[in-house]
Amino acid sequence: MSRLFKLPPQLIRLVLLTMGILCFYFTARYFLTPPSFGQYGHYRGNAMQEIAARQPLWAGKASCLECHAAHAQKLAKGEHKDLSCETCHGPGRIHVENPAAKLPKLDVSLCVRCHQESPSRPKWLHQINVHNHYTGSVCTECHVPHQPNEVP
Amino acid sequence: MSENVTRRGVLKTLAGIVGGIMAMPAARTCKAAVQNGLASSHAPPGYDPFQHKWLMALDVDRCIGCGMCVEACCQENSVPEGHWRTWIERYVITKPKPGSGETRGETVVDSPDGGRKGFGAELVPKEDILKSFFVPKLCNLCENSPCTQVCPVGATFEAPDGAVLVDKNYCIGCGFCVQACPYGCRFFNPETRTADKCNLCYHRITKGLKPACVEICPSQARIFGDLKNPVPDDPLQKFISSNKVEALKKFLGTGPRVAYAGLDEEVR
Repeated sequence: MSRLFKLPPQLIRLVLLTMGILCFYFTARYFLTPPSFGQYGHYRGNAMQEIAARQPLWAGKASCLECHAAHAQKLAKGEHKDLSCETCHGPGRIHVENPAAKLPKLDVSLCVRCHQESPSRPKWLHQINVHNHYTGSVCTECHVPHQPNEVP
Repeated sequence: MSENVTRRGVLKTLAGIVGGIMAMPAARTCKAAVQNGLASSHAPPGYDPFQHKWLMALDVDRCIGCGMCVEACCQENSVPEGHWRTWIERYVITKPKPGSGETRGETVVDSPDGGRKGFGAELVPKEDILKSFFVPKLCNLCENSPCTQVCPVGATFEAPDGAVLVDKNYCIGCGFCVQACPYGCRFFNPETRTADKCNLCYHRITKGLKPACVEICPSQARIFGDLKNPVPDDPLQKFISSNKVEALKKFLGTGPRVAYAGLDEEVR
C-alpha cells in the first residue's frame, strides 16, 4: 500500500482520470442502452415489434373473398385464376374497413400493362400489339376480365 | 500489507458493499425511468420470430415485367420517388456479330424507374435481340449479411426468422450499410433520414399476409413461404423441388438465400 503511494503523482493522476472516465462511460452505458438491446443479438429486440406494428395497405385475396365469393368462383374458372383481386383493383384495405369506400374504375392501360407484345416477355403469356389488335379503347367489349376465355 | 488491515477498514469496506447492494434497486428504477423516456416499447403481437424462417423465391421465366410488384411495394411501404425496395431489371442480349464466333453479343440492362410504371420498347431494335428477359431484384436475405456487419450502432440486423431489418428509431443514417450491400438493395431514405430496404413486408408476414409484391404478382414469378412451417402443397417447397435454383453472387460469401430459377449467366 505504502509502495503504491511512492508512484510519481502525475502517474497517479493519470490512473485516477482513466478510472473516472471508465466509470462515467459504464454508468452512461448502463442508463442509456435501450431495455431490449441484446435480447436476441446486437440490436433492439423491440424493433421487430415496432416494424411489425404498421398497418398493411393491400388487404390480401382472402379478405376480398369474405364478401365477393361469387366473383372469385367466376375468376377460378378462367386464365386469370391465380391473380390476386388487388392486382387489377388496387389496394383494398380502405374498402375492407369501410365497404362504402369504392375502389377506382379500371381502364385499358391495366390490360396493356401485362399483355402488350414485347420480345422480353415469356412466350407462354398471351400478348397483343395494341396498335393493330384493336383500335378502340375498351378491351371489355370483347373480353371478360374475370374469365378471359369467354366472350361477353 | 497485512498490518494495514484494521477493524475500522474492514467495517468500512463491508458498509460500502452493503450500501452498494442496497442502492441497486434504486439504480434499476432510475434506469428504467431514463429508458422509458428514451424509447417506447411495444407489446409483442403474439408472433414468435424463432418459429419461422421466411424465404422468397423468384422464377425468371414467369416474370412478365409488368412492374405491378414494384408499384405495390412502393405504395405499401411509402417508398419515396426515385428509390426502390424491389425493382425489375430488363436484360437484352444482342445477337453476335456475324462471323465473330461468339455465342452472344452485348448485354444491355435497363430498369426505367425500377420498372414501377412498366417497361417501354427495348433499347435495342427487335431484330438484333438474341434473347431478352426480366429479373426481379430484392434483398437477398443473406445469412452473413455484410450490411448488418458494418452497422456501427446495431440498428440493422438479421431477425431470427430470416428477415434483415432496419430499426429506423436507432439508425444514425451513416450510410455504411448502403455501401456494404453488394446487391444494391439498400438506399438512404430522404424522408426518414435513415437507411431503408426490403424487409419482406415484415408488418404483413407477421400478420399472416404475403409480402405486397408476392400478393400482387399476376404471374406467380414471386413465391414466398415459411421453411419451418410448410403449408399443405407449399408453393415454395414445390418451386425448390421442381426447379434448378441458384442465388446471386454466391462467390462473395454473403450467403444469399433468395432462390432464383432460370437465371442467365449475364445476371449479376
